[in-house]
Amino acid sequence: MKNAPLIARKEIRDTLRDRRTLIVMLLIPLVVFPLLINIVAKMTISQKREAREKALAVALVRQENARDFIDVIGNPQDISFAEWNESGDIETRLREGDVDFVLVFDAEFDRRIAASKPARIDLHYISSEEAEITRPRVLGLLDRYRKDRVSRRFAALDIDPDITEVLDVRERDHASIKEKIGEAIGGFIPYIVVIFCFIGAMYPAIDLAAGEKERGTIETLLASPATRLEIVIGKFTVVFLAAIGTGLISLVGIYLSIQGTREIPPELMKALIQVISVESMLLFLSLLIPLSIFFAAVLLSISIFAHSFKEAQSIMTPMNFLILIPVLIGLFPGIKLNTLTAMVPILNVSLATRQIVSGTIPPLLLLEVWISLFLLAALSLVFCARWFQREGVIFRGS
Amino acid sequence: MIEVDGIGKTFSLTRKQKREMGITADRLWAVKDVSFTCRPGRVFTLLGPNGAGKTTTLRMIATMLTPSSGRIRVAGFDTVREPQRVRERIGFLTGTTGLYARLTPDELVSYYANLNGMDPGILNRRKAELFSLLGIDAFADRRIGKLSSGMKQKVSIARTIIHDPDVVVFDEPTVGLDVITARSIIQLIRTCREEGKTVIFSTHIMGEVSLLSDDLAIIHKGHLLFNAPFREFLSGMGRESIEDEFIHRVETAEVGGEGDPS
Repeated sequence: MKNAPLIARKEIRDTLRDRRTLIVMLLIPLVVFPLLINIVAKMTISQKREAREKALAVALVRQENARDFIDVIGNPQDISFAEWNESGDIETRLREGDVDFVLVFDAEFDRRIAASKPARIDLHYISSEEAEITRPRVLGLLDRYRKDRVSRRFAALDIDPDITEVLDVRERDHASIKEKIGEAIGGFIPYIVVIFCFIGAMYPAIDLAAGEKERGTIETLLASPATRLEIVIGKFTVVFLAAIGTGLISLVGIYLSIQGTREIPPELMKALIQVISVESMLLFLSLLIPLSIFFAAVLLSISIFAHSFKEAQSIMTPMNFLILIPVLIGLFPGIKLNTLTAMVPILNVSLATRQIVSGTIPPLLLLEVWISLFLLAALSLVFCARWFQREGVIFRGS
Repeated sequence: MIEVDGIGKTFSLTRKQKREMGITADRLWAVKDVSFTCRPGRVFTLLGPNGAGKTTTLRMIATMLTPSSGRIRVAGFDTVREPQRVRERIGFLTGTTGLYARLTPDELVSYYANLNGMDPGILNRRKAELFSLLGIDAFADRRIGKLSSGMKQKVSIARTIIHDPDVVVFDEPTVGLDVITARSIIQLIRTCREEGKTVIFSTHIMGEVSLLSDDLAIIHKGHLLFNAPFREFLSGMGRESIEDEFIHRVETAEVGGEGDPS
């Protein structure tokens, strides 16, 4: 096997001089991706803050029928009321952004309140992400009025208002911050890293086999004293290194994205940094190694089969989506790591990572994930090595 | 020395290939019962039209393909049993041979020399010799992708003979090359002959046949139609030119049904 390291060294040098590979391996995960995450995070956080702090404009229609409501609510902070004389075209005015919410009081509002009956209010709004944040403020306002009237009605009847409270529920969430954050970002890490792992291996794989065929260099290599096994091992090593290298670089990219988002509160930032511990990252790496072997072997096998760069690319590109499916399934709520999902490639990495980051992974399940991944890696590597021995594959189409 | 003894090579056909070729057989004999010997210090020319089986034959000699029947010995080693020994002794060049564009000539030639297990001292000496002879020194450290086609061809030549092989295989080495670059290949073949190497080259260009051949074999549809010293071909010619004689022999074989591929 003395020629395999020689081939690998040459391929590494060749690959590192390929601008396209460098862009995919370094520029995108290390610069473009963190920048993008940073911008999106900043925008989302500032939009949410703006929505929370926004002074809401609420139109009151038929306000004259709800004097009692106006008296109780008064002039709340950050909400300004505007009186509308008629209900008119509420939707158009909401869409035009004149107001954020419209409260339409029933003609019988005050009379029904006075008679201790439920009084109707129609709350109009256009649902949006912003409305999701601002709506509770308006509902809170209504709730304040409701509570006030309820206590007044009970007082009139000389009844303790607590009579309606049957349960005194006190929630105690025993999940640690690590677990909560793990659940939230534990699925996100493999989503990014696994995809980068695959994409990072793609170009070197194409270049090292299909590209070699297209350039007409494969024959000279096959006519050299290097054996087919040495050639395939040399090439595989580089594709594997590209896969795991890009995966790790993207992990650094995620870390930089978090570090670079100044809007994250310091306590949350501290917890986030704690979650990405050395131990959990080493465990994650132990999953990434066999997965990268699998990716490298599969991609190299496809590339060996293809007779041109274009053909290899056309086969591999749709595979990106195939990779995405198990990763996305791993993000679904309710999908857990068990003896069955631990056997499903990629999905097992996605689910196991979530639990590794949360610190809740059962050792036996982790072992099962390892065994299934290493078995898959070994099989795909053996297949790739044998595939390269086949004349019909190497000289396909020539 | 190359000894080719009754070799044959079959390829399995896809349904599409069978439809396109109008045949029903599942396998195609690309080369059938081919025998010849190439001797040191002589140039053996394998002449044939496109698809005749030239490349398949040369690939079997270079151990890239395994013969379905027969055997080949190169420099005394069997291509199936001792393929690595064979590859240590051959240089291989085709007209479509490419180079690694992102490496420099120096890196590329060293890479192939190292694959051939050359001692570093010998490698440096040989490289200096070849680079000076071929005029590669001036661009030895420039990326190959930035070189002209003539410069690239010189690098290709250096790569082929850096390890001083006993046997050199040229598969249509001048295809697609301009006249000046093609001339450097012709010169390389002559130099190899003068150095006592065994040279086999395939072509379908008649001019090259008369320029270089010591021995000639004509191959058509996988079968040898002629195999003898080139002078015997010339003396036995019933037509005015080599090209006419070649076409006559191929057409006669067609009429006789020789070379049915299935």
